Amino acid sequence: MQIYLPIAEISVDPFVVMFLGAAVGFLSGMFGVGGGFLMTPLLIFYGIPPAVAVGTEASQIVASSVSGVLAHIRRRTVDFAMGGFLVAGGSVGAVIGILIFRYFRDIGQIETFISISYVIFLGVIGALMLMESVRTLFRSTQAPRTRRKHRSAPWMAAMPFAMRFRTSQLYISPIPPIFLGFCVGILASIMGVGGGFIMVPAMLYILNMPTNVVVGTSLFQIIFVTAIATVLHAAANQTVDIILALLLLTGGVIGAQFGARAGRRLKGEQLRALLALIVLAVCARLLFDLALPPVTPFVVEPA
Amino acid sequence: MRGLLVILAIMIAAATARANDIAVALADDIIEIDADFAGADVFLFGAIEGAEDPESFDIIAVISGPAGDFAVRKRERRGLIWIPGAPVVIADAPRLHLSVATRAVGDIAPLPDLATNRIGADRAFKADAGDATAPPDYRSAFLAAQRERGLYRDEANGVEFPKGALFTIETSLPAETPIGDYTIAVFLYKDGALIADDAATLRVNKVGLERQIYALAHGQPLLYGLLCVGLSLLAGWIAGAAFRKS
Repeated sequence: MQIYLPIAEISVDPFVVMFLGAAVGFLSGMFGVGGGFLMTPLLIFYGIPPAVAVGTEASQIVASSVSGVLAHIRRRTVDFAMGGFLVAGGSVGAVIGILIFRYFRDIGQIETFISISYVIFLGVIGALMLMESVRTLFRSTQAPRTRRKHRSAPWMAAMPFAMRFRTSQLYISPIPPIFLGFCVGILASIMGVGGGFIMVPAMLYILNMPTNVVVGTSLFQIIFVTAIATVLHAAANQTVDIILALLLLTGGVIGAQFGARAGRRLKGEQLRALLALIVLAVCARLLFDLALPPVTPFVVEPA
Repeated sequence: MRGLLVILAIMIAAATARANDIAVALADDIIEIDADFAGADVFLFGAIEGAEDPESFDIIAVISGPAGDFAVRKRERRGLIWIPGAPVVIADAPRLHLSVATRAVGDIAPLPDLATNRIGADRAFKADAGDATAPPDYRSAFLAAQRERGLYRDEANGVEFPKGALFTIETSLPAETPIGDYTIAVFLYKDGALIADDAATLRVNKVGLERQIYALAHGQPLLYGLLCVGLSLLAGWIAGAAFRKS
């Protein structure tokens, strides 16, 4: 059976697409990550035009973040003030990201640009994760976790407009969260990722936020910024395929349920090493596609 | 349906006066590619006038439609990676070009003759009149890409002779068929020589949900984007609610 995707303008097997959604959903349920950084490359490998893969994935992240955001709001583990500044920065970042995306689309190098962005992003993240988990695996006993410092770094304390963030129990300038949101917003637009991967560690170790509000607040930022990125991609590039997004989502929610169950049986460090290897494998595939002599030496597109 | 077509074909056959003339008509001259998007069928029928044994003739139908410009770029090595180089434009080439014939078109007539009538996937567009804008390797890459998508295709043994001078041609349009107007040129050959030709026109529309989505996404992109976000929020909420209960 084949189904025609109206925006990607190709026919796909809906069950293969749902299976892709389920596979990434499984991994994201297992590892507790968003999965956009794996879904977009997989869609590209499957033959979806990269620009459509990015735009569509942004809308799929909106869908897959809804229930998480609602759960965290109910549990009062969202810092709305902090989230507001992250969203403010993220909105501007998303617009800048779309402008960058459009520029590379206009000069006809958007596919190369997306691939290179992913190689860098996945390479750095995968390597860091692998080093971290290998280090922990070899250190047989769990090292005591450094406790949260109650004072922020000197350069942060020196920033102007410091204000109180009640939920996070912080007194810091809103400039670092705005800047963090901005960077993640650019990534959301040009790569079709939520950016939780970067935001969560940055919130923990740079902004010094307490662990219990980090995930909820980052999801709060992600749902707004990917929603903005979706609208911008649709309006500026016409690259959001809602049929594709809904197929992925259907597979994704099912996969996530099984993934969460599987994840409970594995140890945290093994999980992290496994995820690092998957990330590096995807990175390597993208790198080979860029560096090896192309199978199809020509690109044909409507002028 | 088929019976009616045969009757129509006989009427056409009776109306054609010239010896060994050919006349064709379409079962439907408007084709709507529907929501299932598996493609659509084209059914063409006709008659050869004054033919003793119609199977000694060769018939070629060429379905060709909306012309467009294409950019072809060759991947070039830049440092460590391969990136697409400067585009070469193939101008005014049909987006779809199907040739359905009694046998392989190359066996029916000499190539220059086929080229004049743009018969066959390899001759879908005019070779540029001597200028160097589209080098041969770019041209053949373009043809290969179109062939791979099923948009340029040659089909041998695609003509049936159900009775006497009547013939029918049935072929399928791929799901990627662009909307627009198509011409169906039908050529009658005997011993490699063109004897007669006729033409019909075909309009392809797309209907159904996919078409509406496409029209909205390109006609009112901002509204479409907001709808996508709304749908994603709704779908995500429903999915979350469904799994919380179970």
